[in-house]
Amino acid sequence: MKSKGKLMVILSLVLVFGLLITGCGADDTKSTTENSSDENSAAKVKVNIFQFKVEVKDALEDAAEKYMAENPNVELKIQTVGGGDDYGAALRSKFASGNEPAVFNVGGPQDVADWKNKLEDLSDQSWVDLAYNGVLDGVTVDDKVFGLPFNQEGYGFIYNKSIFKKAGIEAESIKSYAELKAAVEKLDSQKEELGLKSVFAFPAKETWVTGLHLSNAALSNEFENVLKAYESKEVDFKYGEGLKKLIDLQADYAYKPDGTKGSLNAVDYATQVEELFSLEQVAIIQQGNWAYGSIAGIDKQVAQNVGFLPMPVVGSTEDSIPVGIPMYWAVNNAKSKEVKDAAKDFLSWLYTSEQGKKIVINDFGFIPALRGYEGPELEPSDPLARDILKYSNQDRTMPWVFMGYPSGWGMNVLGTNIQSYLAGDMTWDQLVKDSQKEWAKAREE
Amino acid sequence: MKKNKLIFWAFVGPSLLAFTLVVLAPLLMGIYYSFTNWNGIAANVSFVGLDNYIEMFNDSSFLDSFIFTTKFTIVSVIAVNAIGFALALLVTRGLKISNFLRTIFFMPNLIGGLILGFIWQFIFTKGFAALGELTGQGWLLGWLSNQETGFWGLAILLAWKMSGYVMVIYVAGIQGIPEELVEAAKIDGANAWERVKHIVFPLIRPAFTASLFLTLSNSFKLFDPNLSLTSGGPARSTEMLALNIYKTAFTFREMGVAQAKAVIFLIVVGIVTLTQVHFTKKGEVEM
Repeated sequence: MKSKGKLMVILSLVLVFGLLITGCGADDTKSTTENSSDENSAAKVKVNIFQFKVEVKDALEDAAEKYMAENPNVELKIQTVGGGDDYGAALRSKFASGNEPAVFNVGGPQDVADWKNKLEDLSDQSWVDLAYNGVLDGVTVDDKVFGLPFNQEGYGFIYNKSIFKKAGIEAESIKSYAELKAAVEKLDSQKEELGLKSVFAFPAKETWVTGLHLSNAALSNEFENVLKAYESKEVDFKYGEGLKKLIDLQADYAYKPDGTKGSLNAVDYATQVEELFSLEQVAIIQQGNWAYGSIAGIDKQVAQNVGFLPMPVVGSTEDSIPVGIPMYWAVNNAKSKEVKDAAKDFLSWLYTSEQGKKIVINDFGFIPALRGYEGPELEPSDPLARDILKYSNQDRTMPWVFMGYPSGWGMNVLGTNIQSYLAGDMTWDQLVKDSQKEWAKAREE
Repeated sequence: MKKNKLIFWAFVGPSLLAFTLVVLAPLLMGIYYSFTNWNGIAANVSFVGLDNYIEMFNDSSFLDSFIFTTKFTIVSVIAVNAIGFALALLVTRGLKISNFLRTIFFMPNLIGGLILGFIWQFIFTKGFAALGELTGQGWLLGWLSNQETGFWGLAILLAWKMSGYVMVIYVAGIQGIPEELVEAAKIDGANAWERVKHIVFPLIRPAFTASLFLTLSNSFKLFDPNLSLTSGGPARSTEMLALNIYKTAFTFREMGVAQAKAVIFLIVVGIVTLTQVHFTKKGEVEM
């Protein structure tokens, strides 16, 4: 009896600790089996890529396959976590867990400052000289370049060409706020005949649309570029009146769920783009070229019939659209030399080799931020991307400066203040004062 | 004696180890980080004393979400327990479809909070709107676009999700009541309400203790439905404490302040729930 009891204790101990050990050690056992199953893998350089562009996940994985076929000694592993904030949080926990990726994404000056100790200097890469003017500003510190731009993106007022035609409006001629307002009023007066619910769809719920993108139109005229915004201790709202006009114009002529401006705060991206715009219930929305996929997913016909109107800021540039770099590739400098070289080589291959360029343009649907993408095979296929190139070539662009706002300021201070303004809980002056105060406070630390 | 000790540690040791690793260690590290200016990326961490705590009390959004959370907790604890108890009475009446109903009522609890938030967002913004336009009821339009509808949206969501769960606890309590007590009361002429009030209520006090504790701490700590249903909006007016802490950490990148808020949060949740358990336990009847 006694020995039986002892046996039980020993057995349970073995069982419990066995579970603990296998549980904690699962990773090791897995990698050893992998190694033994593949003879070459011991010599393989493993590069973990942690990226945020969900739209290109599959295409990027295909590209990695192609690269690995050409470079059998490299093994690329891609992990994708989408969205702005979520990616930042996920990246931090990745680093905190010790499972650091070799290639990751940084957004702008604030990210570069935060991750400075982890960033590999990429100044010697061949693509640095190919970059368009200004696209590397956000990731350049002391003449060192720390990031490879993903692509260029632009936004503005996307309009439905066939509705404009029916209403008899010449979209090409709209180059100022007054002209835009006249066009909006004309559309509004013909709502019934055109089958529109309203002229605009204004998603105040999405604070990135209002707090980042819309505000950028005014603030990019106040700050020359993203670095100036990042270094600025305060914000003036020098073109605040122009910003207010753009908000009011969109809110006044927007589809409102219960008829009040406050209810705009429940309108989201899906309602704006996929429902109201794609079903041709509104004529104009403030969005970027990324919306093409969403529109085409609902109605291919509509998606082929769209273009950009400028975002006119009264008192400053009135004929331009904001174009910028959403994210940069960065290499982790804590990795071994082989891994870093493989990572750099993959990025250069993707953006500068003939095969890579075709992937970037055709599979990713990107607008390149580097020179050297000429030729009939490398034309962007969707009308929004073509429009952005057109604006770039006519030099009618303004920079993106919202990556230089203090962390959280754009979406969670200005964006939410715009919500209060629409709901009538805040006057415009209060909005400006509070936003200025929060900017200054964030810059103190 | 020696053997007893061995058995003791064989059973306690593993869970103690796991508890230390996943609860105690992060807790202590968290308290430590609340006194530093950590930005979330290891390396340069320096000690800043009580600065984070001072900044936290100067942050009006924290107070706002504290008030919002308290209001929400009061409403949802009452709603969840009332509905849960009513459902429990319904399914213990010996109806033929009792088992089926139990399954149905419990099911919402099996859906993850994030997904639930998105489903209800659709119901509130599209379903309600469609109904409102059809019937001309203005109050069904524009849900989630202000604090009031956001608040009730969250309360409805949690009541829908958790009622089935506390129902199970109450069902267990009700089934533990000896049949003869209920029968005796019946013979004495007690009607249905009197039986519930004088027999069922006192005898399921332990179930009340457990349900109140669970609903109290769950509504106070609510995070994922809050994130997906309203994301704290509009204008941060429906931001509950857990989401406020998350946003401080991951959008304003103030890990230290967020950690300080989390420490205070832990203390408050602890005090509130322990007080509740203390008082409801007092009134329990031994059978």
